[in-house]
Amino acid sequence: MAAVAQTSRFGNIFWPVLAWVVALIFFFPIFWMVFTSFKTDADAVKPEYLFFFKPTLENYTNMTENYDYWRFAINSAITATFATLFALVVSIPCAYAMAFNPSRHTKDILIWMLSTKMLPAAAVLYPMTFLTKNFLAIYDTHFLIILVLSLINLPIVIWMLFTYFKEIPKEIIEASKMDGVTTWGEIKDILIPLAWGGVASTALLCFIFCWNEAYWTVRLTTTEAATLSKLIEGNRAPEGLFFGRLSAVSTAAVGPIVVLGWFCQKQLVRGLTFGAVK
Amino acid sequence: MSKRTLPRLLQTPAVILLLLWMLIPLSMTLYFSFIRYVLNNLRRPEWTTPSFSNWRGFGNYEYVLFSAKDFWLAVQNSLFIVVCILIFTVILGLALAILVNRTFPGRGIVRVLLISPFFVMPAVNAVLWINMILDPVLGLNGLAVEGINHVINGLREFPVLGAFFSMWPELVPVSFRATQTSAYAVIIMVTWQWTPFAVLIFMTSLQSEDEQQKEAAILDGANAWSRFRNLTLPHLARPIAIVVMIQSIFHLSLYAEIEIVSRGNGNKNLPYLIGEFTSNNIGAASATGIFAVILANIVAIFLLRMVGKSLMD
Repeated sequence: MAAVAQTSRFGNIFWPVLAWVVALIFFFPIFWMVFTSFKTDADAVKPEYLFFFKPTLENYTNMTENYDYWRFAINSAITATFATLFALVVSIPCAYAMAFNPSRHTKDILIWMLSTKMLPAAAVLYPMTFLTKNFLAIYDTHFLIILVLSLINLPIVIWMLFTYFKEIPKEIIEASKMDGVTTWGEIKDILIPLAWGGVASTALLCFIFCWNEAYWTVRLTTTEAATLSKLIEGNRAPEGLFFGRLSAVSTAAVGPIVVLGWFCQKQLVRGLTFGAVK
Repeated sequence: MSKRTLPRLLQTPAVILLLLWMLIPLSMTLYFSFIRYVLNNLRRPEWTTPSFSNWRGFGNYEYVLFSAKDFWLAVQNSLFIVVCILIFTVILGLALAILVNRTFPGRGIVRVLLISPFFVMPAVNAVLWINMILDPVLGLNGLAVEGINHVINGLREFPVLGAFFSMWPELVPVSFRATQTSAYAVIIMVTWQWTPFAVLIFMTSLQSEDEQQKEAAILDGANAWSRFRNLTLPHLARPIAIVVMIQSIFHLSLYAEIEIVSRGNGNKNLPYLIGEFTSNNIGAASATGIFAVILANIVAIFLLRMVGKSLMD
């Protein structure tokens, strides 16, 4: 780093400035969305009010009557929370066993789990609709969305936990076995406290993925369990006249998640590369 | 209980859940792909419910491959979109990761700004870009082109320079709602969303680069390009392979963006085509689904060969 940094005076100013410019360009669409959310629908399409306008909060105060925002937001929160919890409950024992008692099949099972993630969702669209609508009668329920969200994220959650658990020295677990601690006790009192940071960031990442999911939440819901993805997608038509309110509801939908994302960006690398890049 | 039983027992729920999740719907798709199954057919009501007596053999596959005109378009489009996104995100990601890997004032904020697009939900991403940025009339695209035209018109009034500017044509903003251009719109918005992902991974990997080796290279008089070419790029080979793999998985099943940007304008990829078939012809939808699985598997096998080993190290 030091050697690169002392190359030239010009470089010392030019590259940081360029980095800032590029970062601002990348952030611009998000900024623009938040910016536009404070304009009225009428002002939002007038070029003369492009940068200077009278800011208003009416898009946010009218969000409930324009879009019924809270119903969708609550559905998103419920499904993402419970899907994350369920995924953790299933994954922690699994990752624990894989990390501390690996068999010769562990590697294959992990790769197989990863491969389920590669299955294109669209290929099973009709069977899923058919099963949940005609057969199980759970179409458009929170239960279904929670189940589906946790299943699609299960491989990532197991992989992430596995990489965190592997970093815990085996001796600690073995010593506790000598002391006669039960498996449940090992997980609850030793593993989870030791890998707390890892478990928390796995949960956070899983929650973000659940919140942003936009295939099953759109195709397997109508009204009851419809999430924010469904709400936004329902407004896909060219809504020139509604830029203001559309921006407000979009900002409300992504704002909390973007902020959460800032806190777990380091862990994101591990989660998405299945531990291959740390 | 033997020493082996408990670990197995602990893995069972996860394995069974994933197995069911994978096998049940997929075997149904396989079954439907071999029968005539059409949701709305008044003349042949027996085709509206799935049954072995409607066996069609490979008929649905033949229909999809040779008669349904959109299949090849969808395959071509799926691959075109994925390949373009991969090229753009990897190149941009490399450049930005190297740029941000230096120490400079406000580096933390720059990182946060850069990573943000990745957390925007895909539906919002598409709605935001297609309406507010790329729209040829009301979006920034239209406004910018209008502004440039306005400036050029103003310059035409000038004595000598005016002659030069009056030769310029009136600019027309590109509409991103046509068949081909909407694919470009999808590529732009997904590249915007996924470049941060590539940056993040390359940046993490750059931090483990051997600095001493680099300094030795500088002392030996190697220039920046040859240091990048011979030291940094080989170091990043594995992260690049992983970025390519993960993005291929995600973008082959791209759906929300296509649905929002291209609905009804002819531009489609495989998931979108399956969605269209699903409104009526389940047989064809299932056959297309099987093709999508095969395509994903070809890509997956190829990529897992490439990076599978390094995953377990």
